[in-house]
Amino acid sequence: MMRLLIVDDSNIIRSRIMRIVLAGTLPGAQIVGLARDGAQAVMMFKAHQPDVVTMDLTMPNMDGVKCIEEIIAINPDVPILVVSALADKATAISALRKGARGFLNKPFTEKQLIAALKEVISNDE
Amino acid sequence: MNNKDINEVELRVFITAVTEYFQALAGEPAQVRSAYLGTDLSVPQSYDYTGLITISGNYRGCVYFSCRQVLLRRLLVCMGENDHSESNLLDAVGEVANTISGNARKHFGATLEISVPVTIHGPTESIRAAVRARPFVITIDWLGQAAIVMIDLERLV
Repeated sequence: MMRLLIVDDSNIIRSRIMRIVLAGTLPGAQIVGLARDGAQAVMMFKAHQPDVVTMDLTMPNMDGVKCIEEIIAINPDVPILVVSALADKATAISALRKGARGFLNKPFTEKQLIAALKEVISNDE
Repeated sequence: MNNKDINEVELRVFITAVTEYFQALAGEPAQVRSAYLGTDLSVPQSYDYTGLITISGNYRGCVYFSCRQVLLRRLLVCMGENDHSESNLLDAVGEVANTISGNARKHFGATLEISVPVTIHGPTESIRAAVRARPFVITIDWLGQAAIVMIDLERLV
């Protein structure tokens, strides 16, 4: 079973990730939370202890990099996949240094999201 | 135009970002109809819905994407989204602007800092206030629907 927390300030992106994940390509996938900013994500992470997190970076209240720091402080082993439009190398390296396991640029296809999720999960095994 | 403004190569970064956005989401790239330096645009061109990103860091200015409602509805359909409420239409136009601007950092780097999108339905003073007199304008066509990307970007260092 893979219990997933989706973090993105865009409702349509949260919904799209949820639809792709629940479409059947990832057997046993379950959505435990949909957070619209970093602060809400930290609360949901503490409450639900998900197995995997997808993380946007540019968000109000608390951005994704700060949120990764807070989540990794709670559980350093949780795989976090950054899903962001920010396409520069420095941002990807910064997120990975904070503890993210993978980086997927927006816009993404269904295949790219599934492959990226499988990659961060397999790195955890 | 002066040496602080973006050049043709940098303009192409945005052109590529917008065409690839629609290709990735819908399998159908946007067609660029024109790209030009706007002149005497006392009121920048816009359609029903606009997503506006403010730029800071080593650059100053803004980027906006503007289109009609029908384009956003088709985009939501391509994303598998059945909820075409006003909030999702505004979300969609903001996400396009955010993605185009964020993707441009592949060329400009992290010192092109981008805000969260401001989304607007209808013409508003905030668009007029945000844009200088001579922005770059890219007009596109996607599935028969027109849209524009406006880039007002000044290099500070």
